[in-house]
Amino acid sequence: MPILSERGYLIPAVNTDTVSYTDCAEQLAMSIRQWHPNANIAILTNDRCDWSVFTHVIELPHGDQGGYANDWQVFRASPYRQTIKLEADMIAASPIDHWWTMFEKRDVVISTGCRDFYDQPATSRYYRRLFDENNLPDVYNAITYWRLSKTAQDFFSLVEKIFTNWNSYKTLLQFPEEIPSTDVVYAMAALIIGPELVTLPAGLGPTIVHMKQHMIATHTDNWTQELVWENTNPGLRINTVAQHGFVHYHNKDWRLQ
Amino acid sequence: MTTGALIFAFNNEQIDYVAMANWSAKNIHRHLDIPVCLVTDKEPIQPHVFDSVAIANPVNAGQRYFSDYNANVMWHNTNRMDAYTLSPWDQTLVLDADYVVASDQLSTVLKSRQDFLCYRWAQDVTGLQTFEDLNYFGNHRMPMWWATVMMFRRSTAAELLFDSMQMIRDNWTHYRNLYKNPNPTYRNDHALSIALNTLNGHTLKVDGIPGTLASLTPDHRLTQLDVDSYRVDFLTSDKKPRWITVTQDFHAMGKQQLGAIVANPL
Repeated sequence: MPILSERGYLIPAVNTDTVSYTDCAEQLAMSIRQWHPNANIAILTNDRCDWSVFTHVIELPHGDQGGYANDWQVFRASPYRQTIKLEADMIAASPIDHWWTMFEKRDVVISTGCRDFYDQPATSRYYRRLFDENNLPDVYNAITYWRLSKTAQDFFSLVEKIFTNWNSYKTLLQFPEEIPSTDVVYAMAALIIGPELVTLPAGLGPTIVHMKQHMIATHTDNWTQELVWENTNPGLRINTVAQHGFVHYHNKDWRLQ
Repeated sequence: MTTGALIFAFNNEQIDYVAMANWSAKNIHRHLDIPVCLVTDKEPIQPHVFDSVAIANPVNAGQRYFSDYNANVMWHNTNRMDAYTLSPWDQTLVLDADYVVASDQLSTVLKSRQDFLCYRWAQDVTGLQTFEDLNYFGNHRMPMWWATVMMFRRSTAAELLFDSMQMIRDNWTHYRNLYKNPNPTYRNDHALSIALNTLNGHTLKVDGIPGTLASLTPDHRLTQLDVDSYRVDFLTSDKKPRWITVTQDFHAMGKQQLGAIVANPL
C-alpha cells in the first residue's frame, strides 16, 4: 500500500453473521472526529460502509481470511507511515493526539494492561488465564502503534507466521486456544521478538477501559443495562465518572446515539 | 487567617457524643493549639472546654446499626455540610467526635495549600481487614472519601462542595438509586464522595490527605494505657489473641469503648 499520509488511525472491520463491525468502526471514527476533526482515519474492510466518516477506505490486501486471522494484514494495508491500529468496538472518550508524541520514538507499541471505568488498573485475571499460565506479556492489540520500520516488519511477519501456522505454534502453549485470538498471537510475537521492543514500561502507555463483566464486576454481561451511561457529546460518563482514552464497550450493538 | 476545629456532636439515647467532643477538644488544644467549636442542638449542661458552641438543628437520618451496642441507634449526623456556614474561622478542621487526636499530625494538613482536603483511604490499625467494603460504596464500588476528617478554607471551591453535599442530601433517594446504594441511610461520606467527584469534573481526581485514616473497628477492644497511648486487643485470623499499642491519631469506630475511656479519664 502506498503511503498517503504521515499519521493516521486504522480500524480493521470485517463483518460477521452476527456483528456489524463496520457499524462499530463508524461509531469509533465519529468519536475520534469529535475530538480531532482533521484526523486521518482508515477503515480496513471488504464490506460496505458509510465512507464519509473515513479518510481512506482500504480493502484487505489478501482478502478475508476469517475473523482474527485478518489482523496480520494491517501492516501491509496501512496507508500511513505511523499508524495507530484500533479495534472497532471502542469509542474515543477524550482527546488522544498526544499519544503520537509518546509513541513516535518507538517502532512498535502494543498497549499493555487495561483499566476499569474508575480508571483503576483492572485486577481480574479471569480473561487472562492463558497469558498467566504461559507467562505471556499482558498485551491488548486494541491499541497498537507502529511506524514503518524493520521492527514493525519483523513483528507483523511473526504475527502472520503464528496465525498461518497456529497448529505448530500452539504446541508451545499450555492450554492453547483452538482458534488463535489476536491478543494471544500478539503476546507470543512480543515474547519472541522481545517485549521491550514492542511495549512501553508498565503504567506508561495508554490502556483501554475494558467493559467485560468480570473486569467491572457487573451482575450481567450487558453493562449498558446495568450501569448509568451518559453521552456528554463529546465524551462518555459511566456511573457519573468521565472516561478518557478508548472505552472497549464489548457489547457490539451498543450505540451512543 | 483564623483557624479552628469544628466538632459535630448530637447526643442520642445510647451515645454521649458531646462528652466525646469535649474530651477531644482537650486533645486538640494540647496538640494543635487551635480553638474548638462544638456544633450541637442545645447548650451543654456539663462543664466544658469548648471555645464556642454553635446551636444547630440535628437532622435525623433515621436509625443506624451499631455493632458494639448491638442495636439500632438514632442517627443525627446529616448536617455536616453546614460546617461551612457554622464555622467562625477562615480555615476549619472538621472532626468526627470519635476521631482521637493523639498527636500533632493534623498540623501538616492545616499547613497545606488546598482549599479542601479529606482522606481517601481508611486502614484497619490491626491490619486484619482490608476495608475493601468500607473504602467504596454502592453495588458498583464507587470510591469513597471519608468525612471523618475534613479541612477547608473559606473559598468558592469549599462553598460549592458543601452546597453540593446539601443538594445530594436533599435528593438522597435519587443519588442512592444512581449509585445503587443498598443502604438507605444517608451518610456524609457518600455525599462527600459524590460531591467531590462532581466538582472535580467527574474524574475522581481529588487531592486527599496524604496517608490513610487509621481506624479501629468495634470488634476489637480499645483501652487507654497513658496519655496519647492506647492498647488495641484483637484476635488474629486464626483466633490467637494479640495486642498493639497505638500512639497516633485514629478513628474509633466503636463508640462504646471510646465512651468508656471518655467517662473514665486518666
